[in-house]
Amino acid sequence: MEELESEISHSDSDLLRITPLGAGQEVGRSCHLLEFKEKKIMLDCGIHPGISGLAGLPYLDFSDPEKIDLLLVTHFHLDHAGGLPWFLQKTPFKGRVFMTHATKAIYRWLLSDYIKVSNISTEDQLYTEADLEESMTRIETINFHEEKVINGIKFWCYHAGHVLGAAMFMIEIAGVRVLYTGDYSREEDRHLMAAEIPAVRPDVLITEATYGTHIHEPREEREARFTNTVTDIVNRGGRCLIPVFALGRAQELLLILDDYWSNHPELHDIPIYYASSLAKKCMAVYQTYSNAMNHKIQKQLNVSNPFQFKHISNLKGMEHFDDVGPSVVMASPGMMQSGLSRELFESWCTDHRNGVIVAGYCVEGTLAKHILSEPEEVVSMSGQKIPLKLSVDYISFSAHADYKQCSEFVRAMKPPHVVLVHGEANEMGRLKAALNREYEDDPETSINIHNPKNTESVQLYFKGEKMAKVMGDLAIKRPNHGETLSGILVKRNFNYHILAPSDLSAHTNLSTSALTQRQSVSFTAPLSLLKYYLHQLSDDVVTLKMSNGREGLRIFGAITVVKEVNMLVLEWAANPVNDMYADAVLAIILRVDTDPQARKIPVQRITKPDLYREFKDRLEVMLESMFGEHSFKVVAPGEDSLPEDEIHLEIDNLEVKINSKTRAVSCPNDSQTEEMLTECVQRLYATIMPVGTA
Amino acid sequence: MTSIIKFTPLSGALNEGPCCYMLQVDEFTFLLDCGWDEEFDLKLIENIKKHISHIDAVLLSFPDAQHLGALPYLVGHLGLNCPIYATVPVYKMGQMFLYDLFQSHHNNREFDQFTLDDVDTAFDRINQIKHNQTVTLRDKGEGLSITPVHAGHMIGGTAWKIVKDDEEGEVVYAVDFNHKRERHLNGCSLFDSGDSLSSRPPQLLITDAYNAAYIQARRKLRDEQLLTKIIETMRADGNVLIAVDTAGRVLELAILLDQLWRDTRSGLHAYSLAMINNVTYNVVEFAKSMVEWMSDKIINSFTDQRNNPFQFKHLKLCHNLGDLAQVPQPKCVLASTIDMQSGFSRQLFVRWCSDPRNAVIVTGRTAKGTLARTLIDDPTISHLNLEIYKRVPLVGEELDQFERQRAAKKASEVKKFEDESSDESDVEDASKPGQVQHDFLVTADPPKKGGGFFKQAKKTYPMFPYVEQRLKWDEYGEFINPEDYRLNEIAMLEEEVEAAKPRKLPSTDEPQEVEQQDETPTKCVREILGVEVKCSVSFIDFEGRSDGESMLKIVQQIKPREVILVRGDPLATRKFSESITKLLNSGAGSTSAVEVFTPAVNEVVDTTKERHIYQVKLKDSLVGSLRFSTAKDAEICWLDAKVDYSEGLRDTAQVLSATQIAESTETSRQIRLPLDGDEEMDVDEVVMATSKSAKSETKPLKIAESEYKNAIPCLEPLNLEETPGHQICFVNELRLSDFKQVLVKEGIQAEFIGGVLVCNNSVAIKRNQQGLIDMEGCLTEDYYVIRDLLYQQYAIV
Repeated sequence: MEELESEISHSDSDLLRITPLGAGQEVGRSCHLLEFKEKKIMLDCGIHPGISGLAGLPYLDFSDPEKIDLLLVTHFHLDHAGGLPWFLQKTPFKGRVFMTHATKAIYRWLLSDYIKVSNISTEDQLYTEADLEESMTRIETINFHEEKVINGIKFWCYHAGHVLGAAMFMIEIAGVRVLYTGDYSREEDRHLMAAEIPAVRPDVLITEATYGTHIHEPREEREARFTNTVTDIVNRGGRCLIPVFALGRAQELLLILDDYWSNHPELHDIPIYYASSLAKKCMAVYQTYSNAMNHKIQKQLNVSNPFQFKHISNLKGMEHFDDVGPSVVMASPGMMQSGLSRELFESWCTDHRNGVIVAGYCVEGTLAKHILSEPEEVVSMSGQKIPLKLSVDYISFSAHADYKQCSEFVRAMKPPHVVLVHGEANEMGRLKAALNREYEDDPETSINIHNPKNTESVQLYFKGEKMAKVMGDLAIKRPNHGETLSGILVKRNFNYHILAPSDLSAHTNLSTSALTQRQSVSFTAPLSLLKYYLHQLSDDVVTLKMSNGREGLRIFGAITVVKEVNMLVLEWAANPVNDMYADAVLAIILRVDTDPQARKIPVQRITKPDLYREFKDRLEVMLESMFGEHSFKVVAPGEDSLPEDEIHLEIDNLEVKINSKTRAVSCPNDSQTEEMLTECVQRLYATIMPVGTA
Repeated sequence: MTSIIKFTPLSGALNEGPCCYMLQVDEFTFLLDCGWDEEFDLKLIENIKKHISHIDAVLLSFPDAQHLGALPYLVGHLGLNCPIYATVPVYKMGQMFLYDLFQSHHNNREFDQFTLDDVDTAFDRINQIKHNQTVTLRDKGEGLSITPVHAGHMIGGTAWKIVKDDEEGEVVYAVDFNHKRERHLNGCSLFDSGDSLSSRPPQLLITDAYNAAYIQARRKLRDEQLLTKIIETMRADGNVLIAVDTAGRVLELAILLDQLWRDTRSGLHAYSLAMINNVTYNVVEFAKSMVEWMSDKIINSFTDQRNNPFQFKHLKLCHNLGDLAQVPQPKCVLASTIDMQSGFSRQLFVRWCSDPRNAVIVTGRTAKGTLARTLIDDPTISHLNLEIYKRVPLVGEELDQFERQRAAKKASEVKKFEDESSDESDVEDASKPGQVQHDFLVTADPPKKGGGFFKQAKKTYPMFPYVEQRLKWDEYGEFINPEDYRLNEIAMLEEEVEAAKPRKLPSTDEPQEVEQQDETPTKCVREILGVEVKCSVSFIDFEGRSDGESMLKIVQQIKPREVILVRGDPLATRKFSESITKLLNSGAGSTSAVEVFTPAVNEVVDTTKERHIYQVKLKDSLVGSLRFSTAKDAEICWLDAKVDYSEGLRDTAQVLSATQIAESTETSRQIRLPLDGDEEMDVDEVVMATSKSAKSETKPLKIAESEYKNAIPCLEPLNLEETPGHQICFVNELRLSDFKQVLVKEGIQAEFIGGVLVCNNSVAIKRNQQGLIDMEGCLTEDYYVIRDLLYQQYAIV
């Protein structure tokens, strides 16, 4: 009930709505819709790695792609960018798309690889290579920390760690800031920097919750465990399979292995293969966008390129692989859904000397996740059951924030609202509870944590107090209480400025302009006749003598009428009021010109009409019809006791005096009647008398 | 409210000296660039010295010495100790410029204006930022923010926007910008209205008049000229020397030439192409890794095809004349420095100028008196007296004396080394006694290693030779191979040396083994040498600056309210200032005259203005009653409102209580009160705040003057009868050609007859002398239809 009330009390314009269309209480297909002040922003557009075809897309039917202004993609992973070509090519989305330079460069190759690798039948394929290429032209790039303003939405991005080019987006609409982290890691590793903590505080933080309340082991320990496991496997004569996602974390593992091999000459005759043509293609990207990496590696890059590996050879495919003796093979995809890593796994899994190291996060429903529970048997691609004998180790290098990092991150910014996304429901629930616990004893901070399901909106209200700046001549003197302020209000991107019209061009890119209108109409009657009728319209009629000898009139001080041969030319400065005056003048001109009755005025009467007398007559008619002929007494003017202009009435035994010249009404005994009559007289006067008469 | 804006040129005003200006905004003083000329004139330093303690921040716009040359001196010798801001490429390339500059001088003469250490310390102070990244300053600069904007010309090139928090009085510092798109850079984005962060005209524009009176040939023409010159010369078996800078414009030329060489039709691939300066390798590596700062075309070709334009196919990278000697003749060489006062361009010029087959191409105008400028001003010059510095080995008496000094120095040094880490003293022990004294040539060494030196000039240097020895782990090849290689090099070089004039000594001692060279004590000599200039000399402009005419257009477009012109020939500056004044004050609708200042060096321009601005709060009921109409990217409407202070006073109380929520640094932000259903805390707080202030409101509304100042007035809607009338404004500037499109779309026949837009043969629309629109026609239905359409083009308030 309370919520209902609050909804009613806040106008819709204060409502900020965050709706996960994917990755709400799940991992994969990240896609979130942010709506505020009629601006719609989509954050990421991924696909679910465990589901193929259209079903793997986010719930885009809950959005209206046509109305989305902006799409921001945090990094190149399939679960964040995989749906983009489909969204760009197959929906009426017209907005703009931004990602960082490195993301765009890798996105192109990664998705092209995805199209090739995904062994889905063609009719199930979401998009083709051609779609991908076309999507490239629509994607714009943004540099880290560079601010952009699109359609009143201001946004910029921070380094997020995780993978090369990964960004966190800060979005500001009408002063309300939302930070979307995408996937991030607060730990500096071999080549990436830790996610930055923004200097400005967001009002809403949308953060990943992948690891829930888990805490990563320290980096050194993890690396040592990894290299030890690899050494163990090869030393016992086994083959070591490391299924990895082709780009991103793989580069980190390569750096570790290459470094380890360099320091251990005894391992030199054991080959390391990296089975990815994609990685080779993207090496140039890694070499180029080194500015997005940490300082250590940048320094190293100045001397030699650490991405030129000395001990790792590229493996083009199974057919090129000479499987004799121990070896280390890194192969994609990382969750062994299909492809090379799956093939190798199936051929190696029956030998107990072999080992597999799962090095990244695994989504439910994939083989990698399945083998972590150490089953006796696994089902091969062809449907056979094969015994699982090789050793399975899980060492996470996935560079997602763990509980410690996440909690630190929240603590550093203390945003009033935190929205958890990108995490399994249970993990997310635990994280929410843990974060809540952290702040329950803290009266200083109140942090609301939300963990919406897919398509369930989080609704937040941000009451906008609209502030405007008064500038220029208008601001020379501050007005006092109760005074009136008039000027032009300029609204741009939720900023308001109030200016005098003359300052418009100095303070904005706008400028004031003026229009003049000239209209010709045929007219054969004498000008004096027109003047007579115009006098009935307005008191303000001035005769002009034009320089070229022509005669003219000026009415309302705004409309000039010039008599030409068989023609009148009206001229005025255009604005709504003058246009109306002009129309009125025009109506009279047309009547005078066309109505034979109107021309029948005797020439001697073509002077200024006695409007005052007319008013008095009409007033008497009006009063008569208002109060009835017999119920009141009209004292005729001209009687001795009365001044000429005064009208005396007696209504319901009340004495009323009306002065028809000054339009003063006096009724000493009843103010209500007096008020009513004053109004009537004024209105009649305004109706009958020409415009501009005092 | 007054905001102080004072501008003092310290160099480069009413002359073509290097850029160095001081800008004071309120309490905060910026140093805008700190260039140094070719001669390292200490007068300039003296000038800055007086103000050094006042400087709160340095903004750098380009990486060349003209814009940051004095930085190492200021930091190293004068103790400049404030934050410095530059974009990432300016930081990296700037370092390259200075390393090269230092090296070019040091190779041949004693150079003590700054050391590589000074460069490193100075550059360590730099905050590297991105274009369009707004930096909010702290402490003294509270409320000020600076934003670098892409300015073209050189990679990372920057125009600076300096904004005071009230948004009034934005200062734009834009010198040497280039609005044209080039091969490797986009045009200056300062004046795009599209995604600009503020679409208001700046209060003050500081720009240069360097190109004011200079007419540029079209780019295509200049490219052709260059190509023809190169082909002509090389076909005649001559060498081409192109004098370029170290890491700025050279990139554009390198791309252009490499493309030319790739083009099989040009027939150039038979000849050699080389680039030489002391840091070539690093410059190219950095360029490769800064693709995101370059033109859209390059970025796209990189993301689509992974083509890095700096992955050169034909361009050979050389670091000394020995490397260059290995490049077969005839060759086209891009050599630094651009002014030919020092560096390889000068050395090569001396070598090559007497051969009529050769050609020298100068790509930029430099300061008067430099060799390059001399050649530009008189391309037919046949005889030149050149000052030549060179480094020669010591002999006889001098050598003995040096040995004695060295022995003494060594003794103290050994002691010093022993105090340092044990690792180093191990090294020390292993070394032969003669090898210890590196300090003499310390800094001369690194570039010989192929430019692979970074930030380690002093500390790590003494170890360097021993590191080489340690690499012995692979006993079979490593150690011998380079030696073989080097011998080859010497042989090649000696050939070359003999071919050239015998005095070409500085290079001879180069290819020796490093240790060997360290031992050779040298001294520097200076001689005046008369050279015959027989080669062809030409000037082809590859400066990448906007020309005078375009600059005028740009200034007109951005409509600054004040302009300061710096750096340029006095005559050109004055003329340019006149044209700007005329241009900016002629426009319709401009209310106040635009002032243009042309200060001389040390002449203070004070553009301090009384500025009026205050904030008001708009009540929802008021905003709800407004009907906005759209004009360009803004919405406008007429506002009549009553000023209410009672609300305002209450709100100040509220603002104070809510300071934890709202950030005080950003006054432009709206004050937000999060009012979510389950957020009772905040709601309570607000309620408390309101009730508290409500109490204070119950007192009679007596507002003291001081309270008025702090209170934010609130605007309430007026009653209908209270509304005063106002002059109707038409907002927008109509282009008749645009309007014609509109008419045609509506099915109305419209065409221009003598500048008058005639519609359906009954209505004429034209622009009168004042630039305003006249509409004329007979009384027809069309008249009203067209008038309605015309009105739709304006926002009418």
